[in-house]
Amino acid sequence: MASKFGLAGGIPERRVRPIWDAVDSRQYKAALKLCTALLAKHPTSPYVLALKGLILERMGKPDEALSVCLNAKEQLYSDNIFHFDDLTLSTLQIVFQRLERLDLATSCYEYACTKYPNNLELMMGLFNCYVREYSYVKQQQTAIKMYKTVGEERFLLWAVCSIQLQVHFSIGGEKLLPLAEALLRKHITSHSLHEPEALALYISILEQQSKYDAALEVLSGDLGSLMGREEDKLRMQPLRALEPDHFNICFTRKNARCLLEHDVNLPKSRTSEHPSSLPVDSALALKTSLSDELVESRLASALSFVQKLQVNDTSDCVRGPHLASIEIERQRRRSGNPTDRKFIEALINYFHRFGHLSCAASDVEIYLHMLSSDETTELLDTISRSFDASSLSVKGLGLAITTFKFLTPSSLFNNPELQHIAKGMVEAFYKNLPLSRDLDPQESMHGEELLCMASSILVQLFWRTRNLGYLIEAILVLEFGLTVRKYVWQYKVMLVHLYSYLGALPLAHRWYVTLEVKNILLESASHHILPQMLNSPLLQQTADLVKDYLKFMDDHLKESADLTCLAYRHRTYSKASYQILFPRIVVSIFSPEGLGLIFAICAILLSLKQKAESLDEVESILENVNHGARLVELSNEDNVKRFTFNEDLQARPWWTPTTSVNFLLETLQVQKCLLLFHFPEPFDEGSTPACFRAKVVLIIYVCHGASWLPPVYGQGRALNLLNKALGAASVRLSHSWLFTTSSVSQYIRLRTRIKLIQEASCVCEHKSTEKDDPKIKDAERKALLPRLVYLSMHGCASSLRETELNGSGLDTDATEMKPLLVKYARSIGYSIDDALSVILGMSSGKKSVKDFTPDIVSWMSFAVFINAWNLWSNESVVPRADESSPSSWQIVDSLVKICVEEQLIDANRILTSPGNNIPVLVQMITEPISWHLVVIQSCVRSMAPQGKKKKKGGPSERPNVPRLQAIQRSVQCMIDTLRSVQSWLSDQMRPEEQALDILLSYLQGGNEDGPGQISCILEENSARHNPELGERIAQSLETWSSAGVVRRIVGAEKELLAELKKICDSKLKLLASVSASLSSALH
Amino acid sequence: MTTIRRFCCDDLLRFSSVNLDHLTETFNMSFYMTYMARWPDYFHAAVSPGDRVMGYIMGKVEGQGESWHGHVTAVSVATEFRRQKLAKKLMNLLEEISDKMDKAYFVDLFVRASNMPAIRMYEKLGYVVYRRVLRYYSGEEDGLDMRKALSQDVEKKSIIPLKRPITPDELEYD
Repeated sequence: MASKFGLAGGIPERRVRPIWDAVDSRQYKAALKLCTALLAKHPTSPYVLALKGLILERMGKPDEALSVCLNAKEQLYSDNIFHFDDLTLSTLQIVFQRLERLDLATSCYEYACTKYPNNLELMMGLFNCYVREYSYVKQQQTAIKMYKTVGEERFLLWAVCSIQLQVHFSIGGEKLLPLAEALLRKHITSHSLHEPEALALYISILEQQSKYDAALEVLSGDLGSLMGREEDKLRMQPLRALEPDHFNICFTRKNARCLLEHDVNLPKSRTSEHPSSLPVDSALALKTSLSDELVESRLASALSFVQKLQVNDTSDCVRGPHLASIEIERQRRRSGNPTDRKFIEALINYFHRFGHLSCAASDVEIYLHMLSSDETTELLDTISRSFDASSLSVKGLGLAITTFKFLTPSSLFNNPELQHIAKGMVEAFYKNLPLSRDLDPQESMHGEELLCMASSILVQLFWRTRNLGYLIEAILVLEFGLTVRKYVWQYKVMLVHLYSYLGALPLAHRWYVTLEVKNILLESASHHILPQMLNSPLLQQTADLVKDYLKFMDDHLKESADLTCLAYRHRTYSKASYQILFPRIVVSIFSPEGLGLIFAICAILLSLKQKAESLDEVESILENVNHGARLVELSNEDNVKRFTFNEDLQARPWWTPTTSVNFLLETLQVQKCLLLFHFPEPFDEGSTPACFRAKVVLIIYVCHGASWLPPVYGQGRALNLLNKALGAASVRLSHSWLFTTSSVSQYIRLRTRIKLIQEASCVCEHKSTEKDDPKIKDAERKALLPRLVYLSMHGCASSLRETELNGSGLDTDATEMKPLLVKYARSIGYSIDDALSVILGMSSGKKSVKDFTPDIVSWMSFAVFINAWNLWSNESVVPRADESSPSSWQIVDSLVKICVEEQLIDANRILTSPGNNIPVLVQMITEPISWHLVVIQSCVRSMAPQGKKKKKGGPSERPNVPRLQAIQRSVQCMIDTLRSVQSWLSDQMRPEEQALDILLSYLQGGNEDGPGQISCILEENSARHNPELGERIAQSLETWSSAGVVRRIVGAEKELLAELKKICDSKLKLLASVSASLSSALH
Repeated sequence: MTTIRRFCCDDLLRFSSVNLDHLTETFNMSFYMTYMARWPDYFHAAVSPGDRVMGYIMGKVEGQGESWHGHVTAVSVATEFRRQKLAKKLMNLLEEISDKMDKAYFVDLFVRASNMPAIRMYEKLGYVVYRRVLRYYSGEEDGLDMRKALSQDVEKKSIIPLKRPITPDELEYD
């Protein structure tokens, strides 16, 4: 700040200081007054002008600020300028940046640098401008120039960083890497390196070129001493994951010291999505240069070292040496004797020491897959014998939980057994509650995870039996947990999904809100609720969620470039060793084109849905987004290819539906398929949902080929999933729990088939690209919607007007409509002609709507847009054989009617049919029907002035009568359809008590094997006065009531239905008024 | 097999299991980014054998003269990985860096006066309550400024408790 108060632009410091003080204390009016006074004395001072611009911008007057700053810029460029300093330029830069005119700031600095070519301060300013504009080449050039001017190491590093950014963001940019390396080498020869970050950067350049040996040499040479901590240096070495003798290196003693620094650090795949043992395995597979004897001797030496650490361990490194011995034994088993007991002994030893830890099961998950079923049983026996289940202790509870975790990959169990296990978990939770009595209410309880596990099993029982009681119990268990401790986020996340699935979305939303998802978590955790909300009638709450995210993204994009500048300034160019280069990630950590774009589209669609009843509002929304044209551009294929999503999907329960798979609905196919292999089902708690789903698809594929897959997959998508499964998880897959229980012959059969598929999928690899991702297709389609809505309303309005005037319906926009519709049809997987015949077939009843169910809403919208296009297109869009063939209006009418009716057939209470059709119904009403109403309103409005004329004139002046009649019929059809929805909704909203009884009856089957037992346990436990629980827990349990929870579910369902009814109401109101004005026009 | 390494941007996308915890604050992006850019040695993540983020510590080094010190801004461990002294390891790492690399005089941190489990843990790690900051948290709850002296502070002057509580505007640093 010191320079700020120097002699800036010829203005003495004492004059400027009060202005800055006023700005800093947000006294903008006072600042402006002072500045204006100063400007009177120095009317052409660029600095004072820039200051004024800054103040005006802060006061919220961007236009004035821009004009003052442009004036300042002009003064700078004039020849009689006296002072030209960085202070003036940086002040201008601040204002231009806030006005989102980075280009102006850059051009000021460019000009200044030409005028004063060797001024370092100005060059740094220019460099920062290029950083903010992401102009990597120019950054590099400027940095090199600075380096040549003053020879400082940091400027060389700035240049190298800029090269790395070019490499990352341009095709073929790798060619620049040797240049970067040469630059650094030359500098090292003459000056050496002086910062750890510089060394890290040099190593990463070598590494990017796969020059691992060179990197190792550098690290072990003199430069290696730049690393302040020995561990940092050593840690940089094992990243040579793909090098042939990698394994050799990893287990040398020297590295073992580093590996065990904080427990053991085994090498990991750097981009591994699926935590597994793969990197080590693949390294072993590549280990061609080592003989068996050598491997064995090195393993033995590693083992003795690790064992020594286990004995002498006085530090805090607890699990590491023990996990290391399991890994070493595993390697031995792989290369030697598979029946060797040392592997299982190492595991047993591990569980003896650490089995009580919450992470014990997940720590060794990858190893468990290698056990035979006898060994699994042995392990389980040993653990369960190692604690006394009847006494209360934290350690005993931990061991019990680990035992339960072993049981949960539960393909081994039948339904009653599973239910018994879940019951055991709930009982264990309650029994151990006294252990938590003295904990702080904010601390996590002992045994918390038991309820998640129990709930998960109950969902599984529901999946197997379709008995709703289990699903309700799954909810009750978690609600019970939250009654005791209201902060457990794991319970809340599961409840969000369970309530969503059950149709009690308002409750899901309420729990989600208590999670306080904000900032970066919006990026990774919104997926828990957003997909459901977007298809719900809770438009306002959804809009709020989307708005929060967009604000976060907006703020981040504004700040990220400045943060990159900060990284340059503080010389933190790289993120240590193999971690990613910092500035690169600041730029690309989010893909504004991916999730950001999807959110932006959602925001627009939501406001369109909310305001669809007012044409003016729809118009103004569309106007604000450039009539949707920009979105169409953004969603073009090249952009879409770069889409990435940062959602942390691993956090989702295994059964939650995604855009591609609704697992709970696919039960029949999956179960049929699994029966073939005598697997009760493929539940595997440890796997990620993605991996798990891939596995299911794989099994279906293996058994039956692609034709047997659910239609939603399609060939391409199945292969895509297969590739993912095989590419990332094949080893794991073949060792998974799923197959350990199978007989050897089945196993071999499956292995052979997997191999065949592997080969087949290699052939097809080029066909399966990320573009097949349904989420991307969905985004592409949604991005077209605003533009299509705009063209539809604009086109048909002008066509009606123009038909009146000159009989021609041609409009320039009509030519734009077709390619968009072609694209739209393609996103559903059809050519436009085929798509046309599909909607014709569906509307005439020749094609079954059911066959097109997954995309039915898109089909309806497609029909609506086809009708709009047909209205003003010169050629007939819809092929009509004769006059009696349906018009495009009739096609829409009948399609809407058929599709909606199809949804209303099921008269069951929606509460008793989880995964119900409310979301589809909501989409139909808020999307295609809304768009159609926009078209209708637009037609009616364009005829309104003529309508008045018509009253005065005779019927001969009404050339549009047939069209008006078609519209009138369409309006009537929409009214009828919406009324049928209304009455269905009213039927659904039966009295609360009745609904309550229905749901509670699921828990009162009286059947020993059925649901209801766990809810009984909860009721009994909460009613019992157990003094050991302590006052706080006892008090919270007093409030527990299963019926209360069920009552809330019923209330939430009602709330949801009422919201949908409200939407129908307002549409019906609109239709009534349209119908009235049409009648008056016609009669 | 726990790996403790520098925190990187990608970790922000994977730490929801740590940050969904109600006591862990999720700051805005520029906050994390600034820490990563300015004090990368003070921002570490612990990663599990299954490659999950187990917890992290973020901090900085600041001050002048004898008040040159390391500061713990946040330390948090996911539920699954608690009760195995991971927070202690992370704290020790930050202390080591403050002590050996930056030659700081002490490490300090702020904690809610009501957060007894955390206070007890810090005490076990050798921190003492240096002073109370009135209404430090959102103008409501008091904060405790806890400190631990490092080897530079031979006479342990930095941790002699202040007798009177202070208000947030008396704090030397943000």
